[in-house]
Amino acid sequence: MIDGFRFLDLASRGVMRAWLEREPAPGGTPWSPIRRPLAECRVALISSAGLSLSSDTPFDQEGERQNPWWGDPTHRVIPRAATTGDVRIGHQHIDPRPGSEDLDCLMPLRRLDELVAEGVVGCSAPRHYSVMGYILKPAVLVEETAPKIAEALAEDAVDLALLVPV
Amino acid sequence: MGLAARVIEEAGVSTALHSWIPELSVAVGSPRVVGIGYPGSVPFGAPGDAEGQRAVLRASLEAAAGLRVPGERVDLPFEWPETARVPKPRRPPPIARAIMKRPWLYAKLRAGDIP
Repeated sequence: MIDGFRFLDLASRGVMRAWLEREPAPGGTPWSPIRRPLAECRVALISSAGLSLSSDTPFDQEGERQNPWWGDPTHRVIPRAATTGDVRIGHQHIDPRPGSEDLDCLMPLRRLDELVAEGVVGCSAPRHYSVMGYILKPAVLVEETAPKIAEALAEDAVDLALLVPV
Repeated sequence: MGLAARVIEEAGVSTALHSWIPELSVAVGSPRVVGIGYPGSVPFGAPGDAEGQRAVLRASLEAAAGLRVPGERVDLPFEWPETARVPKPRRPPPIARAIMKRPWLYAKLRAGDIP
């Protein structure tokens, strides 16, 4: 079994363990059965790496520098055709160098295209998404951002959204 | 991300978390969790390793499609090599720098006492 704490520094490990011990498990897990075989599914990726198109408004890194308890709770659309050079990384808690060199480390849009071509996956959604993963107070993310993403995913008839925390 | 997944799932779209801290993803009530033993900066593998990234993405999607019980977790058979460099941020993030200046803030963070 994977030890998810392996890559965390000692201080972050302490914070995560304290949260795990303190936070009550939410009641009831929502469940929407996957409606068709993977080879027929439309798949979308959602990364928490704070990705934005270079032509779009970047995630607010300065706001977090001014108030380190705050993280930008908004989201950005990443089109299916986006490539490494089109995207910047706005998450200050990760190493941006691997993803800047090769977006597929974080958001594997080209790999997804390849799986579609191989017939493993039905198709790639026209729109994929990114949020910024460092959010200590998740109210806006849960009450505003996630419903907007959910609505857009439904509009695009997405069968399976793969969320990728970083 | 688990909290966002819950909202999306409630709206009728199936979700799975490809998670490098699967314990946390399960604890927040994510509908489906696929654990990956890679660092958070490279959840699908090293830059330039198209074959490796494709294998991880394929395994993750296939594992997600195979989960049948709400809240279930499955781990992928990929581990970051012990000898490989673990990507780290170039400089500590703002909250870490704030704690370096005022160490007592760590206790607030650990207690979830967020101002």
